[in-house]
Formats: sequence, structure tokens, C-alpha cells
Amino acid sequence: MQKIVVSVLGYDRPGIIAAASRILFERGCNLEDVTQTILQTEFVGIFIASKPDGVSIDDLRSSLEAELAPLGLSALVKPVQKAGEWTPPPSEPFVITTVGPDRPGLVAGVTEVMTRFGVNITSLKAVFRGADDPQHNVMIYEVDIPLSINQKAFRQALNGRAKELGLDISLQHRDVFETIHRV
Amino acid sequence: MITDREVIATFEMLRNEHLDVRTVTLGISLFDCASHDLERFRANVREKIHRLAHHLVAVCDDVGVRYGIPVVNKRIAVSPIAAAAGAFSPAEMAAIATTLDEAARETGIDFIGGFGALVEKGFTRGDRALIEAIPEALATTQRVCSSVNVASTHAGINMDAVYLMGKTIKRAAELTANSDGIACAKLCVFANIPQDVPFMAGAYLGVGEPDAVINVGVSGPGVVKKAIDRARRSNPRMDLGQLSEIIKRTAFKVTRVGELIGRQVAEKLNVPFGVVDLSLAPTPNVGDSVGEIFQSLGLRSIGAPGSTAVLAMLNDAVKKGGIFASSYVGGLSGAFIPVSEDLNIAEAGRKGYLTLEKLEALTSVCSVGLDMVAIPGSTSAETIAGIIADEMAIGVINSKATATRLIPVPGKEAGERASFGGLLGEAAIIPVSNHGGSDEFISLGGRIPAPVQSFGN
Repeated sequence: MQKIVVSVLGYDRPGIIAAASRILFERGCNLEDVTQTILQTEFVGIFIASKPDGVSIDDLRSSLEAELAPLGLSALVKPVQKAGEWTPPPSEPFVITTVGPDRPGLVAGVTEVMTRFGVNITSLKAVFRGADDPQHNVMIYEVDIPLSINQKAFRQALNGRAKELGLDISLQHRDVFETIHRV
Repeated sequence: MITDREVIATFEMLRNEHLDVRTVTLGISLFDCASHDLERFRANVREKIHRLAHHLVAVCDDVGVRYGIPVVNKRIAVSPIAAAAGAFSPAEMAAIATTLDEAARETGIDFIGGFGALVEKGFTRGDRALIEAIPEALATTQRVCSSVNVASTHAGINMDAVYLMGKTIKRAAELTANSDGIACAKLCVFANIPQDVPFMAGAYLGVGEPDAVINVGVSGPGVVKKAIDRARRSNPRMDLGQLSEIIKRTAFKVTRVGELIGRQVAEKLNVPFGVVDLSLAPTPNVGDSVGEIFQSLGLRSIGAPGSTAVLAMLNDAVKKGGIFASSYVGGLSGAFIPVSEDLNIAEAGRKGYLTLEKLEALTSVCSVGLDMVAIPGSTSAETIAGIIADEMAIGVINSKATATRLIPVPGKEAGERASFGGLLGEAAIIPVSNHGGSDEFISLGGRIPAPVQSFGN
């Protein structure tokens, strides 16, 4: 058994997960994790599955492409990489929120600082609609900040970048959100 | 996974609604500093405050930054000095106040409370010495706060102490005549004072408390007001039952923030966490006002008929939400209505919506009492004592804390402005009616007996 990752991308409609999971099931694959998201009109689904040794990745890919292409969907299949490519360092979970007028380069500008400090994004939601309502131009990053980095310097760099980009930014430990909003 | 709504709601509370932790107060027992020798006592006090509090400000700031929630004030509350330093004379008591002031300055905090006495049933020698020292102590220091408990539901009202505090307040005002009697802004007279109040000027560390403890005062009138405004905008037919639910939910959130920050600070200082005080505490800033909540709930101003009902509902909803949010609730826990410290309430006083009598009525359903009320400088000690006695009676009969923080502003009359600066704010001087009508009553002295606790009508 080999672990594989499959992603399916295309215009959203009913039946995409059903079609992809049926193909994997018929080829003897066992699903371990599935997630999907929809951005505006576009669907993307990611499956992690284990496949029987008798089925090759190329076979799977051509089956998926053959059945999904008529629906206008693209599929990607590849083996899951072994551990060791990148090992997450001991970290603490924080949430970075930005609000401010839309302009090109906001995500690139903010994430460049994160990369420089080895801060890993674990979840991201960014919405830019360009209107005045701050809730229409928001980035919410859930990040893991390594314990080993200079948090003060990271905070300063992030604040500096936010200022350059005209953003109001906050960096808060994740606990505060669960504490405030959840029983 | 955190939801977008949770993140945005938190962001809004911080940016636009003044969500913060109003005070983290480190309680420090001074009983083990006792000595018959003044200099030894002062050195012990200084050493202990330094040892326990020298990281307080830095730790609060670090924790505040980490969670993105500012800790606005860092403070210290000590054992009642009248008990911890009972052997000393008034002049020596004033010297101790200087030591407290210096220790507060050196640790970078803005107020230190506990220069006080508990005299609801009678005076010790130390109590008398301390009260005699209060005017000078408060006039010559910046950061020292004083509270004197003169009444309790179990002991009744010590009317000798009430009269003495009337005179003490007058004297304190006179000694700070050139700054509108600011010494009185640092002096509270209490009934049923809780042992763990983190808010000034009433903060002190009670005798049943640990050697050191972190108590937290939350805030959040702005957050409550905005939540009410949002709810009424989205559903204009929302009734008071539904609005009370909104307040309750909001108080829950605000309290959770306080507890999170308090526990983190306590852990880092290696000091036990005490309580969260669920008070809605205003500051003299637009959008951080308890008075504005009355307008959000449909009154033209605090003071208009209906105000006592609104305050009762507000206070109760805050407690219900807060008590669910934290297992350790204490202090005063209710809404504050400090006149000069709340722009909106100060304005209501200036415009005449709010009289001393209406304020007194409001204090029967909220925490604390006649707080930061500037009255004419010509008000006599006897009349001030009469006002205090009334306020104490409300607390004693209703088994709740009440207090007065009255400022008879020297040389100024009703309608003139008094300014105390910073968080203490400014206000128009409120007229005192029936001045002089209490002299004979106050001169009787003695102790009004403790009230019966059943037949509660």
C-alpha cells in the first residue's frame, strides 16, 4: 500500500466529490483524509488515500482525467512525500489579522515577513472586495511561530510591513479567540 | 479552526470598542513587615514590594502584547496600613504613605491602595492614627489611595467614623485646594468593602487573603454599548429581555479576556490568581462610557426616569455573563458610575439630568456608590457625613458594597468645573440640597445597629 494525494479542481457543481471518490473506490483505494473548499465559483478537493500495490499512479491519473475532464475538472495525483522534507519546529499558534484598503501585493508582502522568520501558515483566509467595509478586505492567517525565533523582532517586522502596506494588523495568541468566543 | 467571525469580532472589539483589561492588581500582604521601629517597618515594606512587584509592569505588558489585549493599569493593593502599622503615630503613618508612594513609583505602577482602616465596629489606636494621617498622606503623595470601611451589614454603621470621615474629606480637600481637592479623589468611604477589590481607590488586600495574589478588573462599557447598538440596528423590535441577553453574552466575553490575562500574569509572577472583578469601568473617553449605554437603551440621558431600571438590568446581566465566564469572581463586580471619570455621566451632571439624589438612587442597584462626585467646597463636614451615612445605609440594608468618593472642591460652587486630570477626569460641581440640615443628627454619633436580615422588605 502506498499513500497518495489527489487533488481535483474546477467549476463547482454537485457530484464532484462523488465522482472522484467513486473512481478511487473502484480502483481499491482507501480514503484517509478529505477536505474541500470553494472560492467564489471554483471548487478544490484534496484526498489522501492509500492505494493497492497493483494500481499504478499513472493508471489512477489517467482514470481520473478520463472521467473528470468531461466535467471540466482537472486532477493531480502524486505520492505523499515521506517525513523529513521539513519537520515543524516546536511552535506556538498565533493568529494574524489584517484589515485595510485593497491593493496589489498584500498577501505577498505580509507572507514574505513570515517566510523570513520561518513562521508557517496553517490556515489562511483572505478576502478582497475593495469596498470601504473593513470586513470586505481582510486577511486572517493562523500561523505557527517557532519558539526559537525572536518574537519581538518578528512582531516589529510585521508591524513595519503592515505600515508600508497601509494595513491595520494584529498578532495574537490563538488562545484568546477560543477563550473569548467559546464555552 | 478559528472562524472568521470570531477573528473579526475580536478585532473590532479591540480596535473600535476599547476592549482591554482595566487593571491587574497585585495584592501584597504587609503583615510580615511589622516592626515597632518605623524605619525598619518602612524598609521591610519597600523590600517586599520590590521583591514581589518589580516585574509586574513588564510581565503585564508582555502578556498584553502576546494576546493583543492591553493591560491599561498595573497596580498594587496592600494590607490595611492601620492594622499592619497599628503602633505608629499619625506623623509616622504619613511617613509610611511616602514609602508606599516611592515603592509604587519605583515599580512603575500608577496607584497603590491600602492606606486604609476597617472601623465599622470601632477604632483601634492605629485606626485613629491612620485616619488622622489621611489628609496629609494623600496631599503629599501621588499614587497612594485610601479606603476606610465605616459600616457593614454585620456591624451596622459606625456614625462616629462617618462624622470623622466627613471632617477628613474636608481637610484633605483643603490641603489640595490648588488642584480642586484632588486628595479626595484618592479616598473612598465604604460599607461592606470586599477584601479583593482590584479597582482604585478602594483596592486593599484583606486580612483573609494570601501573602500575594493577582486580582483583575475587567472593563468593557464600549464593548457592551456597541453590542447593544448592533443588536438594535439588526432588529429594531428587540425588547429588553433580548437586550439583556446580548449584555450577558458580551460580559461573558469580556470576563474571559480578564481571566485569561490575569491567570497568565499570575503564572509568570508565580503568584496565585485571585478573582476577576466584573465591573464595567469607564474612562473619560468617547466610546468607553457607562453613561452611553443608557442612551443605547433608549434613555435621553442617564438620570432620566427609567435610569435605575436600566442600571439594575445592566448590572444583573453583567454579573450573569461574568459569573458563567469565571469561577472566581470577586471585588465590586457591577457597573461603576464615577461621575467625573465618564464623559457622558459628567455631561449628564452638567446638564442637570443627574442630581445627587438620583445618583444615590442609582447606587442602590449598582456596584459602589457616589463615585467621583464633585460637590461645592462650602459643603460642611456634617453634610458630607450625612451623605456618607445615607450611602452606607443603602449598602448595609442591601448587603452590598457601597462607597462614596466625594470631592468638596475648595473655593468652587455648584455649576463650576472641577478638573482632576487623566483617568480621574473632570466634571461640573453638583449642587447639594438641604445643606446644613443634618448637623444635629450627625452630632449624635454612636453606632447604628446591624439590621435584621430576615423580613426582607
